[in-house]
Amino acid sequence: MSLLRIDSVCKSFGSLKAVNNVSMTVEPGELRAVIGPNGAGKTTFFNLISGFLTPTSGRIEFDGADITALLPSHRVWRGIARTFQITEVFPELSVRENLQIPVEGAFGHRLRPWLSRDDDRKVRARVGELLEMSGLTARDDRLVGELAHGEQRTVEIMMAIALNPRLLLLDEPTAGMGDQETYDITRLIRMLHREQKLAIVLIEHDMRVVFHLADRIMVMAQGTMLAEGTPREIAANEEVQAAYLGKEAA
Amino acid sequence: MTQLILYNVFNGLIIGAFYALMALGLSLILNLSDVINFAHGGFLAVGAYLAYALIPFIGFWGALVVAPILTAVLGLLVERVLIRPLYGRDVLYSLLLTFGLAYMLQDGTRFIWGPQTLPFSVPDWLSTPLSSQFFFLTGYRLFMVLLVSAAVIALFLILRFSRLGIRIRAGTRDLETVSALGVNVRMLRSLNFGVGIYLAGLAGVLAAGMLGLQPTMGDSLIMPSFVAIIIGGLGSLPGTLVGGLLIGVASGVTSVFFPSASDAVIYIMMGIVLLIRPRGLFGEEGRF
Amino acid sequence: MPKLTAKLAFDIVVWALLATMPYWLDQLGGYTQLGSQILVMALAATALNFLLGYTGMLSFGHAAYFGLGAYGLGMTIKYLAGGTLSGMLVGVVVGTLAAALIGMLIVHLRGIYFAMVTIAFGQVFYFIAFRWDNVTGGDNGLAGFHRLPVSLGFATLDIVKNQITFYYFVLAFFAISVAVMAWLLRSPFGRTLLAIRENERRARFLGIPVDRHIWLSWLISCFFVSLAGALYGLLNNFADPHALRWDQSGVFIIMAVLGGMRSFWGPLVGAAIYVVLQDYLSSLTQNWMSFIGLFFILIVLFFPRGMLGIIRRRVAS
Repeated sequence: MSLLRIDSVCKSFGSLKAVNNVSMTVEPGELRAVIGPNGAGKTTFFNLISGFLTPTSGRIEFDGADITALLPSHRVWRGIARTFQITEVFPELSVRENLQIPVEGAFGHRLRPWLSRDDDRKVRARVGELLEMSGLTARDDRLVGELAHGEQRTVEIMMAIALNPRLLLLDEPTAGMGDQETYDITRLIRMLHREQKLAIVLIEHDMRVVFHLADRIMVMAQGTMLAEGTPREIAANEEVQAAYLGKEAA
Repeated sequence: MTQLILYNVFNGLIIGAFYALMALGLSLILNLSDVINFAHGGFLAVGAYLAYALIPFIGFWGALVVAPILTAVLGLLVERVLIRPLYGRDVLYSLLLTFGLAYMLQDGTRFIWGPQTLPFSVPDWLSTPLSSQFFFLTGYRLFMVLLVSAAVIALFLILRFSRLGIRIRAGTRDLETVSALGVNVRMLRSLNFGVGIYLAGLAGVLAAGMLGLQPTMGDSLIMPSFVAIIIGGLGSLPGTLVGGLLIGVASGVTSVFFPSASDAVIYIMMGIVLLIRPRGLFGEEGRF
Repeated sequence: MPKLTAKLAFDIVVWALLATMPYWLDQLGGYTQLGSQILVMALAATALNFLLGYTGMLSFGHAAYFGLGAYGLGMTIKYLAGGTLSGMLVGVVVGTLAAALIGMLIVHLRGIYFAMVTIAFGQVFYFIAFRWDNVTGGDNGLAGFHRLPVSLGFATLDIVKNQITFYYFVLAFFAISVAVMAWLLRSPFGRTLLAIRENERRARFLGIPVDRHIWLSWLISCFFVSLAGALYGLLNNFADPHALRWDQSGVFIIMAVLGGMRSFWGPLVGAAIYVVLQDYLSSLTQNWMSFIGLFFILIVLFFPRGMLGIIRRRVAS
């Protein structure tokens, strides 16, 4: 059974059709990329999947259950986590604290006024694990607001991972990054994909990243799906080339 | 009985007009600059006292014209020196600052003119009732309603058609875009603040004629102004106008049947609006 | 772990000073009752800061629950012949209950809107206290009650005449309250509040039910503020409507800002400075209000991070 099924979903804002009849299925463990020019509706599409917006029509199914109108926080607990176009972290808290919060949430401790020594140990262990995975152990006490852009992005991704998601939505993870940072993030994503065995859907503009990581690519333009297929197919697709890929070849 | 109700409705409309005048000034400042001007009541008092001080020299009509302008000038000064440093910072700081300012204005007026209520002389011909049947229709009250209406209409005309007004309305929606289009945002904020304070000063002069002068006169008007903005909807000037009138009338009518509840009724209305339609009657969604 | 040791040392110093305040305050020209007043205000400011500094929600109407605590206490002692402790219980219950109900109406609002609404609701209670004058004493306040000795079974605390005993009585409540709040802030729940303050959207997308947590924070904050109010009633043997007004709320906020919103002891420091300053100024001049107003303005313009904020910055750099 597919992990995520999106059926003919539309989102209109007044007379503006931001997302027009888009369908997509994602299998468990797949790595999907969504590409397209600015204003194509990609982030709106993500917002529909993550629950920030509700579709005007259409249906979203996750793991067999209908989540079309489900609240964002509930989708998180079903296994969907996301990052944002502009890095959203907790700037005045340390890296450790930023990770601690979703870890405690994942263990079900959100409302707890105290933790037993055992639970506390488990939380610390998990936070340590996440820090190591992402190479941030040396930075654990730094305030996230003081970190470099790439490291903040890494923290954000690890916060999402801390929720033990089955589907990870990454909105332009390498936006605003130089070559080295892009390379590091790409490596991180690939490592997470392999080791955590989760499905990832990512919006990206950097074609190197897309062709490096994706199993399948979906191209959006002006709110509709233009093409869908393997990287090879997309690279060869003339319509896509005309509309978008023209400047940057694979 | 009908006379009593009519009296109270009319009274309520007058009070409501005041609330609306105050609230409009507050709302203007709030919408464009995200500043809650706690000192608005203080500026009202300043306007009233300045008029009082000027009457011996230029008479009632002179004071009516000059005092609000002087108050607005004071407002511009305050905006430039005290409030400008706070733009972009958390809302908290402008609240606290205007709060301290309110204290200073109140104490200042008390210091200069004393704590007792001072009488405010209004031209005689305005005070006489216009009809023996509707005794409450004194010339002064009618005059106030007319003046407030004129001020409100003038405000809306300015906002709709003048250069300043168009920029204020655009800036309320999106200050960044407006500044990218070459508008001097600092000047815009200052002028907007000035207009808001002008309205407060005007309300002060009118209130003095009706209630006399007291250092605390602004206090009783500022809370209902807040409520008017909440009921009418944050971000909407017509909403604020309607909100002010509504609570004034509601307060007036309630005082016929439940005199002790006439103050509380506006808060009850606010509670109901928050429950049923949190963004207010004309508020925009997601504004908060 | 240098940071922990510095913090611990500071904590110890604070508690030592508080525990011995009646004995050194006199030397500095103060008096024990002033010390009790500092504690009461500090409790209120710390409770407010739980919501403001740690959860990031600005309430300008907290004085309402403060006042409800005071009036609840006063009316219980005066009309129901209750004792000190039962009076305090009623005060706290009334304040917290009101907060719980109002909280449900407003917890989905943010920023300016939230602030304005808290002000307006605070005013409702001010008006009730003002108008219902045959019960509450109206503008003159609720008088005619006073602290009663507290009987603990094995001993009786004479908090009526003995100011020092009363000080320690207040200190006990202050200590427990402050300890509970600190403990909550260090817990997983407390961390979710920090998350909400830092980035609400991110918190929501980490699965935190934001509105519900804000309501809880609001409730806890108002609970301790109403406790402070009850103690305030005991302090003055008097409850007045001005304790309910938005200017009182503003005073709590300025205490938190003055001391430093981001640090736990900030409100205590701010309260101490403010109470002493006000006491001094009002004995000096009729126009103390102008000076207090000026004080607010200067703090906002030049010391927004507060006393402890400045010190922390120096240490970090």
